[in-house]
Amino acid sequence: MARVLVVDDAAFMRKVLTDALVAGGHEVVGEAGDGDAALDAYKDLQPDLVTLDITMPEKDGLATLRELVDIDPTARVVICSALGQETKVLDAIKAGAKDFVVKPFERERLLGAVEKAVA
Amino acid sequence: MSPADVASAADALMRLGASTAEAVAKSLDAICPSPVERGDVTVVPGEESPFEGFPFEDGPAVAVSVHYVDGVTGGNVLLMTAPGARAIAAAMGSDAVAAPPPSDAASADDAPAADGPTELELSAVAEAANQMFAAAASATGVVLSQEVEIAPPDTRLLDSAAAACEAFDATPHAVSATFVVCGEPCRLVQLVPNAFVLRMTRALDEQGTEQLSGDGGLSALGIARRTEPGEERALDDALRDIRVRVWAELGRTRVSLGAAPELPPGAVLELDRKADDPVDLYVNGLRFASGRLVLTDEGEWALRLEEVAGRTEPVLAGDGFRPPAVASDPPADAGFRPPAVASDPPADAGFRPPAVASDPPAGDVTTEEEI
Repeated sequence: MARVLVVDDAAFMRKVLTDALVAGGHEVVGEAGDGDAALDAYKDLQPDLVTLDITMPEKDGLATLRELVDIDPTARVVICSALGQETKVLDAIKAGAKDFVVKPFERERLLGAVEKAVA
Repeated sequence: MSPADVASAADALMRLGASTAEAVAKSLDAICPSPVERGDVTVVPGEESPFEGFPFEDGPAVAVSVHYVDGVTGGNVLLMTAPGARAIAAAMGSDAVAAPPPSDAASADDAPAADGPTELELSAVAEAANQMFAAAASATGVVLSQEVEIAPPDTRLLDSAAAACEAFDATPHAVSATFVVCGEPCRLVQLVPNAFVLRMTRALDEQGTEQLSGDGGLSALGIARRTEPGEERALDDALRDIRVRVWAELGRTRVSLGAAPELPPGAVLELDRKADDPVDLYVNGLRFASGRLVLTDEGEWALRLEEVAGRTEPVLAGDGFRPPAVASDPPADAGFRPPAVASDPPADAGFRPPAVASDPPAGDVTTEEEI
């Protein structure tokens, strides 16, 4: 079981992710709707893993990831992106993301990525 | 802007519209339980509002806009009725997502709106639009040979076409595509600045005219192809499902705005074509072919194609375009007959545009495979 911080600007996606993670036996310790809120929450909550959207207002997922890795080089991050953002996903993996899932995703794919990242 | 530039701009807009509409339709198909009905993709004339004609009278419509942030400028608006938005949200799983407890800070987002979709449903629709337009931006990026990034979606309720015009910055160009999603009308509007058109035109020019041969005429129809082998086949297959408007044009003329309403019954307007000149066939606003009008044995007009854009080999006699309802070939002796408007009408005939020169009703459209 992992303690997870869910970061997505869409309230609907935060709930989809939260429900899937909880159903998979994980604990969602917090949610954030933008990059700055995600960084603050990470410092406060010290989660085992972060699910991170790419397209977000103000500070996007890639910029957030780079700052997160600066704060904690051991941070475990799974990127959640829409189809068509493959270059960004590649950049995110290079920046330290452990895995990615493409929206819309199957619950098993998300849980598999989370379990692999925290293993 | 020269006539050739205007044609190139229209071509670029049509290709942009077709590829984006296809990406949106495919995303909707993946989300919705019932097949998405694809409608027309049209370049909206400059003087018209791309939001006009949407059924706002049935209640506030939901508009999700997604703008480009890198690579190109402009944006997209997905307009849907409130029931349509709720249906898409349900298909996304909004009704299956557990409602948060009232004390949850995030629950402020999820309070029901005064009417129409809840905030959670609007968020689900916005996420759907985000996924659609990310895929569409990717397709556009292939044409431009450059990555195109999108901003997060912005969702709002609009109660009129005028409100929609106020909500989104006007652009010199707009492309509209219609769909029926879960039984509800849905419209994609692309707001396109001049700079985007110029970039698309340049990119398409660089791809060369070789696409006119060997691609089943898709390029001549204003529909872009990808250049990478696997993607090219998949995109072509998908594009072939797009329904396009087809019409024949007998000829044109110009009259002053003041004179047009004064035309009396019985007036004769001379067009710019001779009686034995070929008639042009248009597909989604682009001249695609020319041919001769013939009469079928059922007494309906048909067009026998003689020349098709991008094809140098002679068109076979059997390549004629007919309305889908006409099953048999024209009789061998059915030659060209000048349309009624080109000859003196009977005294009581009055002026009216010939039926084949106007846009056909929706039920008469045909797909490019039928041409």
